[in-house]
Amino acid sequence: MKNVDALQGSLDLLVLKILSRRPRLHGYALMTAISSISDDVLRAEEGSLYPALHRMEETGWIRAEWIKKDSGRRARVYELTTAGKKQLGIEESRWEAVSAAIHRVLREA
Amino acid sequence: MSFAGEWKRRLHMLLHRGQVRRDLEEEMRLHIDLRRQQQIALGLDPEAARHAASRRFGNTTRIKERSMTAWGWNWLETFLQDAAYGIRSMLRTPAITIVALVSLALGIGANTAIFSFIDAVMLRSLPVEQPQQLVKLGVEDWDGITDSFACTELYSYPFYRRFQKENTVFSSTAALFSLVNPVHGFIDNRDQSEPINVQAVSGSYFETLGVGAQLGRVIDENDDSDKGDHPVIVVSNTFWKHKLGGDPSVLNHKLRLGTGVFNIVGVAPPEFFGTSVGNSPDAWAPLSMGESIPPGWKSHGENFFESLWIIGRLKPGVTVEQATANVNVLFPEILRSFPDAKLTQQNLNNLAHAHVQIKSMARGLSDLRRAYSQPLRILMAIVALVLLIACANIANLLLARSSARARELAVRQALGAGRGRILRQLLTESLILALAGGALGIGFAAVANRVLLRMISEGPNTIPLDVSLNLHLLAFTLAVTVATALLFGTLPSFRAIRPELTRSLKSGRGGSAIGGRSPLAKALVIGQVAISLVLMMAAILFLRTLNNLSRANLGFNKQNVLRLDIDSDSKSLKSDDPRLKALFHQIEDRVQGLHGVEAASFSAFTFNEGSWNSKIVVPGMPVDHSVNIQHNIIGNAYFKVMQIPLVAGRSFGAEDTPTSQPVAIISESIARRLFPAGSPIGRTYAIGSPDGMGKQLHVQVIGVAKDVKFDDVAEPEHYIDYLPYSQRDWGFGDFEIRYTGSLSAVSTEVQQAIHEIDPTLPISHVTTLDDQVARSFTDQAIVAELSAFFGIVAVFLSCIGLYGLMSYLVSRRTGEIGIRMALGAGRSEVGWYVMREITLWIFAGIALGIPVTLEGGKLIEKMLYGLRAHDASSLIGAVVVLSLAGLLAGYIPARRATRVNPVVALRCE
Repeated sequence: MKNVDALQGSLDLLVLKILSRRPRLHGYALMTAISSISDDVLRAEEGSLYPALHRMEETGWIRAEWIKKDSGRRARVYELTTAGKKQLGIEESRWEAVSAAIHRVLREA
Repeated sequence: MSFAGEWKRRLHMLLHRGQVRRDLEEEMRLHIDLRRQQQIALGLDPEAARHAASRRFGNTTRIKERSMTAWGWNWLETFLQDAAYGIRSMLRTPAITIVALVSLALGIGANTAIFSFIDAVMLRSLPVEQPQQLVKLGVEDWDGITDSFACTELYSYPFYRRFQKENTVFSSTAALFSLVNPVHGFIDNRDQSEPINVQAVSGSYFETLGVGAQLGRVIDENDDSDKGDHPVIVVSNTFWKHKLGGDPSVLNHKLRLGTGVFNIVGVAPPEFFGTSVGNSPDAWAPLSMGESIPPGWKSHGENFFESLWIIGRLKPGVTVEQATANVNVLFPEILRSFPDAKLTQQNLNNLAHAHVQIKSMARGLSDLRRAYSQPLRILMAIVALVLLIACANIANLLLARSSARARELAVRQALGAGRGRILRQLLTESLILALAGGALGIGFAAVANRVLLRMISEGPNTIPLDVSLNLHLLAFTLAVTVATALLFGTLPSFRAIRPELTRSLKSGRGGSAIGGRSPLAKALVIGQVAISLVLMMAAILFLRTLNNLSRANLGFNKQNVLRLDIDSDSKSLKSDDPRLKALFHQIEDRVQGLHGVEAASFSAFTFNEGSWNSKIVVPGMPVDHSVNIQHNIIGNAYFKVMQIPLVAGRSFGAEDTPTSQPVAIISESIARRLFPAGSPIGRTYAIGSPDGMGKQLHVQVIGVAKDVKFDDVAEPEHYIDYLPYSQRDWGFGDFEIRYTGSLSAVSTEVQQAIHEIDPTLPISHVTTLDDQVARSFTDQAIVAELSAFFGIVAVFLSCIGLYGLMSYLVSRRTGEIGIRMALGAGRSEVGWYVMREITLWIFAGIALGIPVTLEGGKLIEKMLYGLRAHDASSLIGAVVVLSLAGLLAGYIPARRATRVNPVVALRCE
């Protein structure tokens, strides 16, 4: 449970980023995307993903709609809103600042 | 991201909660299915794949809950859950719920009703521009006319004009006649007269208040520039709506009042009721027309016809202190400068001691406020105490229920419900109960308001007072309701969540171990009894006061006297016109000849109708400035009608004519005080003091009458003298008839007789003298009736409290009683055992209540008549009534205890 919470800060960033590259993904696709892109290093938990999606929908960063899949089943897919794009920029630059700082600490300490 | 957008999404989510939940479930199902397919692709068999997928996904319910929580509506959902649960559990015990709701509705409703009167009479500001800037000269609100020098309450028109010009502290100054003239006038050429209350005001009145007209214009300075010849009048919204049918061409209509025909030039705004709360005029006319409005008071030009109130609007930044200083510089200056000022030693002395005080006019003036401030405060305290008793009752009911629910709550706690969550659940239930009670209470208040308004109103029309529901009131009621919920909800809730988990779970009925002695519940019941004693005592004191007032010796016989007003001013005759006197004599003679009439007489006053008073000077006696004489001008049969005995001399008769020696009859108290030596018969005195501005009138004493009460039952006898109307001019109103037999028959006959003589003479205020006397202590009557009502309610509620607690304890002790009886205790012993306890509580409550009652009595001492606040027999009465009622309430459960079948009781355990 604990490492999930640790990931939570960056989960928003990962979801926003993936949605900006590949719009209209459903929850399962988002999860597989996170693990496949990160070579299975990062794994989002379902228990965090869905609350996070709802939180971001409530804040207005993403919006959802239902589409019919080829298989005939409905899927709820997500895409970024304008506010979400702006938020992605903020989260990205913050992440870069943090990781650069951690890098410096690791190099120079 | 926009705030509004976010709320729109959240609201959408709230309204479509079910849909969102279903969407989320479907989304999660798809997720698990996809995972399962992936697992199958990896080579697992379908059953194993399903398991793996589910395991991997985790607790769906928990994820669902956390996702839904993201929308921030959690609190509302819990609240709705709690509310639904609370309502269900209340419906399970309908009797308790109904008792709680009714007592809450009564408590909250009574508080709301009384507060709405306090709000209307004592708190609300005038509906004018920036009311807090308005002040009035003088603090006593005298009304009437005086010619005394250096009066700081009433002012003359010339004084007002000089003051308006010379003061430096008011941005605007206005004057208004201190009396509203109740005249009968005619609309256009109609034959039917209308009662119209006309307020004479200065030209600056509306401008000073910042009030415009809703139609036409208001009175302005041009209308008041010089005496007479400005026949304009502004009518009130009510008058326009009711008497002119809301006619939009109202400005083409005219009003005939006395000798004048007035053009209606405007209609005042609907919310404007003048400057006196509860006394709204039908029309406003300029002071310049004073002599045309009956009874034709002169005002312009007379330096010492002091009859006006002066109000002013403070300039920005000017304090009341600065204004007072400026007023007190101008006051003596202006008075001294009048050429007709009599600067006698006495008057100069008065002037030196005169100090004009200023008071705020923000809330307007009000006779109602003067009469009812104290009663309303007392009633507010009474209803607050009743609400407190109701709260204690409900707290006890909830306490009993929470003990009964101890097991349920323990189970919930054991299943992981947080203590805060349970507390919230219980408080939600209290709040729902309170809100429902509050809603019922508002309905109750609306009815109670109408009843109360009716009670304080005289005659067929209610006092124009706005006591309807407003925001002020709703806020008050809501505050009371929430406070109530907290008051009766908190204690039981905290007790309910006390950690006694295991014990509660173990014993099914809660067992006598848990709060078996329930000290909290007992404290509440004892408190209730104590408060009930206070209210019971107040009720007895006020009822006895009312009884004393209605049985008080007034000096005249108020029984079997019919009285009515005729408006002789509507005849447009001057008060010294001989035709008017001839009319009075004709009416008296005709009515006295009617069957069932013993005597009939006109008079200037009877009882509680105001007064005309002045000093008198008796030759050979020093002028006593502390003796103020009330004068009454009467017909020859007045003493016979009122049955006031003459102790010496004779009454007025046909021999007293306008040309004969002016005569007077004096009261015994005057005779004692001002004619100490020998008989006063045949001696003379002068009405009006040599320092006064009016003419002195010399009269000879021909009789001495017994003292009577004149203004108020509770005040001591006044110095009164009587003058015959044959010698002293007066335009009458009051006509009194002593009758035998049926009141309604005599009343009809008398009115017919008057209209046979003059069909246009308006007759109003037909009632009995008894009723008129009762009207003078309406305030005490209302306090007595309401305090009696609430006293009974309080005792009743306390009895319910006693009964409830006793029944609860008896049912809890069924087992114990069973054992006692099995061991040989008799029924009476068991009954006594139960009664002993309840008796103890009642007497503890009474012992607690007595000092509170005695202390509280000091606050109402002034409202009492004929007995003291610590009256012993009243206190004993209250104690006896309360004890009997309490014991009766306890007797029923005690008897039930004696019927316990030991076998059944023991098997239960």
